[in-house]
Amino acid sequence: MTVITHVQRKSRLAEMVDKPGGVSVGAALAQAKANLAPLEAQAKTIIADSIAALLAEPAPGMIEPMRLDMAYAASGQIIDAASPFAMDDLCTAAKGLCDLLDAAPRQGGFDWRIATVHAQAMKVLLSLPPQEAAARAAILANLQEVLRRKLPAAGQPQA
Amino acid sequence: MSSGDSLRESAVFNLSDAVTMIVDDSPFSLTLTSNALSGFGIRPAFAVGTGAEAKRILQDKTIDLLIVDTDMPDIDGYELVRWLRRSNPNPNAFTPVIMTASHIRRGRVAEARDCGANFVVTKPFSPTLLLERILWVARDRRPFLEVGDYLGPDRRFRTEDYDGVERRADMIRKAAVGTESAA
Repeated sequence: MTVITHVQRKSRLAEMVDKPGGVSVGAALAQAKANLAPLEAQAKTIIADSIAALLAEPAPGMIEPMRLDMAYAASGQIIDAASPFAMDDLCTAAKGLCDLLDAAPRQGGFDWRIATVHAQAMKVLLSLPPQEAAARAAILANLQEVLRRKLPAAGQPQA
Repeated sequence: MSSGDSLRESAVFNLSDAVTMIVDDSPFSLTLTSNALSGFGIRPAFAVGTGAEAKRILQDKTIDLLIVDTDMPDIDGYELVRWLRRSNPNPNAFTPVIMTASHIRRGRVAEARDCGANFVVTKPFSPTLLLERILWVARDRRPFLEVGDYLGPDRRFRTEDYDGVERRADMIRKAAVGTESAA
């Protein structure tokens, strides 16, 4: 197969990154965290709304692919909102649900109780105080078990 | 470089003049990324919500760093980056691109690998991980390759010597040049 190598041009980003001035990594990270902190309450509201959307009854007549896509989007929103605030357990739960929804047959047959279980688990994770590490670990272990049982290996039909 | 631990706190960088574009259909994600970048001293010049809007600006303005979400309703991140890499003589065709994804669908993993982005970051990502990736792409020296349908940075990350017979044209050329210089 023909390979064309394009002449390497130094990007402007590469030229400027080591220029005099700038900011230290430590100061940059501290400032970034300070800039993000005021958004944490809004992030929690978005997560709660997305969980509510996952728990809501589907609109009458909604076709399966649309329902799957909406649930996938809601789960993705939870990851988006939770990730900058180190809510890693919520991200893990939402990612597991994304994996299951992505693997679900588009023509129907997905066991929607799985989505409900994930949404309820995420609701609990959101409300648990940070020091409840054991409870968080237990919830994630249960969800991991659901994932292990229900997520088909590549190319296999869903159980 | 996977955990975000490789950044030295005292290391100094300067990206204050970088013209940056963030593309994400979620307004909240746009705000999150903009705020993190502002903390790094990077002022996002463009924060846009659609691939179509990004495409319009990329045809008109020179961008130093593009941070783009994978999942968008009109032109998604993969399509946008594929278009960008093929948009030469557009000066942005070789712009460093970081793609962000809350989740990559199983059927789209190959697309994520082959669209031509410098790096694909799956969430959760912390400000530390984002900064690490930005500094990584700023210092990314991989050549751009055109192989079949692919146009983008060399996807081979390994730098250690290959043990077998060398068949890579660029490496054979490099070795020949090295031998000539030595002679």
